[in-house]
Amino acid sequence: MKMYKYIISTIVLLSCLQAVSFSQDSTKPVLNLSVGYFNDNGRVQYLKANAKTKMDGKFKQVAAIKLNFYITSEDPSHLLGKGVTNENGEAVVFIPPTARDEWNSAATHSFIVSSEASKQFDAASGTADVTKAKIQIDTADGRNITATVLAFKDSSWQPMKDVELKIAIKRLDGDLNVNETQTYTTDSTGSVTAEFKHDSLPGDAKGNLVLVARIEESDLYGSITAEKTVPWGKYYKYESEYDKRTLFARRGQSPVWLEFMAYTIIIGVWVVLLYLIGQIRKLKKLGTV
Amino acid sequence: MENLAKQKVIQDLKPQQFGKRGMIWVGILLFICAVGLFAYIRQLSKGLVVTSMRDYVSWGIYISNFVFFVAISLVGSLITAVLRLSDVHWSTPLTRIAEIIAVAAITFASIIIVVDMGRPERFYNLFLHGRLQSPIIWDVIVITTYFFISMLLLYFPLLPDLNILMKLKEKTSKGLDKLYSFLGSFWKNTPGQIKINERAISILSITIIPVAFSIHTVTSWLFATTYRPGWDSTNFGAYFISGAFLVGAGGVVVAMYVFRKAYKLENYIKEDHFDKMGKVLVMLALLYLYFNINEFLVPAFKMKKPEEEHLIGLFTGEFAPIFWFAIFTAMIIPIFILLFKKGRKPLPAFIAGCLVVIGSWFKRYLIVTPTLLHPFLPVQDVPDSYRHYFPSWEEWAIAMGSLAGVLLIITIFARIFPIIPIQETITEIEEHENV
Repeated sequence: MKMYKYIISTIVLLSCLQAVSFSQDSTKPVLNLSVGYFNDNGRVQYLKANAKTKMDGKFKQVAAIKLNFYITSEDPSHLLGKGVTNENGEAVVFIPPTARDEWNSAATHSFIVSSEASKQFDAASGTADVTKAKIQIDTADGRNITATVLAFKDSSWQPMKDVELKIAIKRLDGDLNVNETQTYTTDSTGSVTAEFKHDSLPGDAKGNLVLVARIEESDLYGSITAEKTVPWGKYYKYESEYDKRTLFARRGQSPVWLEFMAYTIIIGVWVVLLYLIGQIRKLKKLGTV
Repeated sequence: MENLAKQKVIQDLKPQQFGKRGMIWVGILLFICAVGLFAYIRQLSKGLVVTSMRDYVSWGIYISNFVFFVAISLVGSLITAVLRLSDVHWSTPLTRIAEIIAVAAITFASIIIVVDMGRPERFYNLFLHGRLQSPIIWDVIVITTYFFISMLLLYFPLLPDLNILMKLKEKTSKGLDKLYSFLGSFWKNTPGQIKINERAISILSITIIPVAFSIHTVTSWLFATTYRPGWDSTNFGAYFISGAFLVGAGGVVVAMYVFRKAYKLENYIKEDHFDKMGKVLVMLALLYLYFNINEFLVPAFKMKKPEEEHLIGLFTGEFAPIFWFAIFTAMIIPIFILLFKKGRKPLPAFIAGCLVVIGSWFKRYLIVTPTLLHPFLPVQDVPDSYRHYFPSWEEWAIAMGSLAGVLLIITIFARIFPIIPIQETITEIEEHENV
């Protein structure tokens, strides 16, 4: 009898394990959603969500996921906007003017991104808690750049220490550090100072450069950028090559040496040929006399 | 020179009516031209999609044919100008053959360029909006000039012969009489006219040499000014000119044999002519071989990465059979045939000439196509048909039609005008007798 019970128990246990294993196989992959807050030099703030999933032990970005962006709570009245992830798994929503009251009501906000369940994935969500912050750039001290990080606390802007930020010059294809230091951390006054070490960096038509201070993907403040234009660059005026005589110029703008050579050869040869045609006329005259 | 002997020269060299074989020959050429024309009409109506040219190979056998025609046309300057200025008299019977080959080839070189255009009705834009900086414009200018010089070089020496033809008792047809009269009725063989004519020929002989060099150098620059494996070469101008002289001389040897047989010109195009042209051909083949070694050995020695695929494709890859066929038929075999005196007899020389011409055509194909299939940036994400090139039947028909067109011009010219200069031959015989 004992033996019989033992066999039955083993069969039941194995069946349960089988069932558990089967149910695990049929589980949808987990969709990971994250959201970040961006404030680029006081322009319209936006949220950027990222959707990814783990496949074959590696994270892969997931495209075409419909997302809802919320502020404070996942409530239709707090909906900021909707987006769909692109091939990089990213979706962007600008914070609309309608959210101004909600934004002004507190110093810290929660941003929520969520997706509904689909055939591929179960419902998922991600949140980011962000304290309102800003960066001020000051260049009063010669060619030293002072950046101060201020956070909105207790109804006022207060300097924040131990915040990591970058100070750089904005160039066409990215940022150029102002010196060899990559990043700075704010002191007790919420400030960092960076020395500007470039002598003759080409600026715009007035010699202006754009300084930029960035907090990148901070857990507390999100991504914040501040810019300031300074006249520390070298005067640079773009001169179009369009009207210059070059080998690669448009028609009628070939180099003078080329025109001289080409036309000399062409005229030289064709004068000879025209002379010979004249000789045919002369032959005709001689033949008709 | 006795009048009877003079009359015999005239009778021997005057244009002859086509016999049965001549008619069949012309019929075949006309048929090939008609098929080519039909294919071109298809290309015009459907577009260049009927060809096998795609994004990578945008210059196929049309441009290969163009380079071939430009090359063979260079013979006009070699035989007529270089040998005339060198005071070489044995080449006199060959001058007109060389010149008509030059005119016919350069005519079809111009035509085949238009054929290669997807929208030929826009051709005039090349003149309206062409840039002087572009080698294509240089080519247009120099081809036009060369065509004009070749026509004049054909026309001036023809004037005394036209006078002879008009005086012939037995007239061939009214149409031809009118043509002779239109072209040369004013020629009275006066000392003044002879002097002007000789001076004009001398001026043309001097002028045609730099223009002929320019035409082929500029054609080579169409390639060499483009930064691509196989074309990025400073050797290209000389390489092209040496190849052009070779194929032109080969073409003349072939034409000499055919005209000699067809018109029974054994007394005028003698074995000695084949012997001398054979020697010229050997020298030119060796010269071209030398430039080929320069062109391929140095890059192969360095084997720069971007050149590697192209060179391996030629030496041992997809194009190896054509490459070695071209090297052997255009240069090595003709050298071995013509180095020996027996090889410079008419028939072996004719065979060597044919090999040179055929091999040279394939050589032009190899200059154009393999490079286009090996750009610096890798070919990817394209249909398989983009990776290889084999001409469509329309391209073959048009290319063969253009070759037939060249032969047709030469054939019809030989039917209308003396293919060996009559007056010059008489004068040379008289001078020889006086000596």
